[in-house]
Amino acid sequence: MKSCEKGLWLFILLLTAGLFYAVFFFVPPAEGLGSLVRIAFFHIPVAWGSVIAFLVGAWYALRYLRRPGKRFDAISAESARLGLIFVVLATLSGAVFSKLTWGAYWNWDPRQTTIFVLLLIYAAYLTLRSVITDERRRARVSAIYALFSFLTVPFLIFIIPRFYFSLHPSPVLNGSGSIEMDPVMLRVLLLSLLDVTLIYIALLGHRVKEVHHHET
Amino acid sequence: MQVSLYRAVEAVFRKEALISLRSRASWLVVLMFALTTLSCVSLLMQGDVLSPRLAAAMLWVILFFSLLSGAGRGFADEEQEGTLMALSVYGSPQAVLFGKGIFMAVLLFALSLLIVPVYLVLMDIPVFSVLLLFAALLAGTYGMAMAGTLLSALMVGAKAQNGLLAILMLPVLLPILLPAIVLTAGCFSGEAVRISYLVGMLLYDGIMTLAASLLFDFLWYED
Repeated sequence: MKSCEKGLWLFILLLTAGLFYAVFFFVPPAEGLGSLVRIAFFHIPVAWGSVIAFLVGAWYALRYLRRPGKRFDAISAESARLGLIFVVLATLSGAVFSKLTWGAYWNWDPRQTTIFVLLLIYAAYLTLRSVITDERRRARVSAIYALFSFLTVPFLIFIIPRFYFSLHPSPVLNGSGSIEMDPVMLRVLLLSLLDVTLIYIALLGHRVKEVHHHET
Repeated sequence: MQVSLYRAVEAVFRKEALISLRSRASWLVVLMFALTTLSCVSLLMQGDVLSPRLAAAMLWVILFFSLLSGAGRGFADEEQEGTLMALSVYGSPQAVLFGKGIFMAVLLFALSLLIVPVYLVLMDIPVFSVLLLFAALLAGTYGMAMAGTLLSALMVGAKAQNGLLAILMLPVLLPILLPAIVLTAGCFSGEAVRISYLVGMLLYDGIMTLAASLLFDFLWYED
């Protein structure tokens, strides 16, 4: 098990190094954005990571409610902690990109708003965890909050774009179902998504094991 | 003794109404909080006219924060009085949730009917569609009451309860607040607004009720 974890970290290290090289030397400058497009290879994957962490957190909250177990609670909580880090990174990198291309760090673009709500939910969830001392009650209460707040996400995805005008580039997988991207860029992007997902899995596994170890 | 759910909900509702009539503290605080905030806003504006959109946003911010101080009382009072245990022995979870939630919805709606006219008079805002404003207030206060009831039950036993509800409530309530502001702005400006905003609010209210009902059982039956 131990060597398996080491192997995973080694793979992540090599992949990340390779991606750094690819982003700075292989990826062609994008039309209209120039070299700024390179931020996207950091921004999109961390945003992806924050959403994955949110889904995993909610899924394990559900599993906890159905069959209470410390492990499910630990996964849900650690996933939220990692999610908060990802979402902060995504917000910051997005703001920098926004400043460089549109001239303002923040303008309540639909995607900025959605990610901001995600940030609020993570922060509220972790605040709630910090104010309840009884361990079992904390686990139960935070699982319920995770699922309750999970409800808002589909609504916000549909509602928010109607409220605010967007300058954000359309998603890679857009409504028309076609992928309009340079093939090299696309490959690098997909690899960077894989990289962040692996980093998330490795960190989550490590953190959950640490919590478990700390308790026993 | 087995009682029908309707009867049980009614009993909890009556209990809540009786207690809040006897001690007026809970809703009086909400009302005074709202009046203080909106007179503060009005004083600071010094007679300037707000655009409909800004006036609507301001109104909902005032409503959100003032009604919040009432919406969170649902279980905090029971906890303070030490009656929570008795309630959990005698009441079924659904009866407690809906009895408290519906009473809270009625209370918040009634309070908003007192707060909104004062705001409209102080800020000198014309209303073009009273019916739509009513509907937005109803859908908004209902959502706030239901979410508030569930979240205040979550907060029982928490260390720092002051301000916690606002933190927990805002992300959950955004899908209601945003359309409510658009609808209210439409009422203030007289421009046509798409009714789909209201449908969206009602839909979200429905889903939130369902989720609160499903999740509340897990909270009530502690092992």
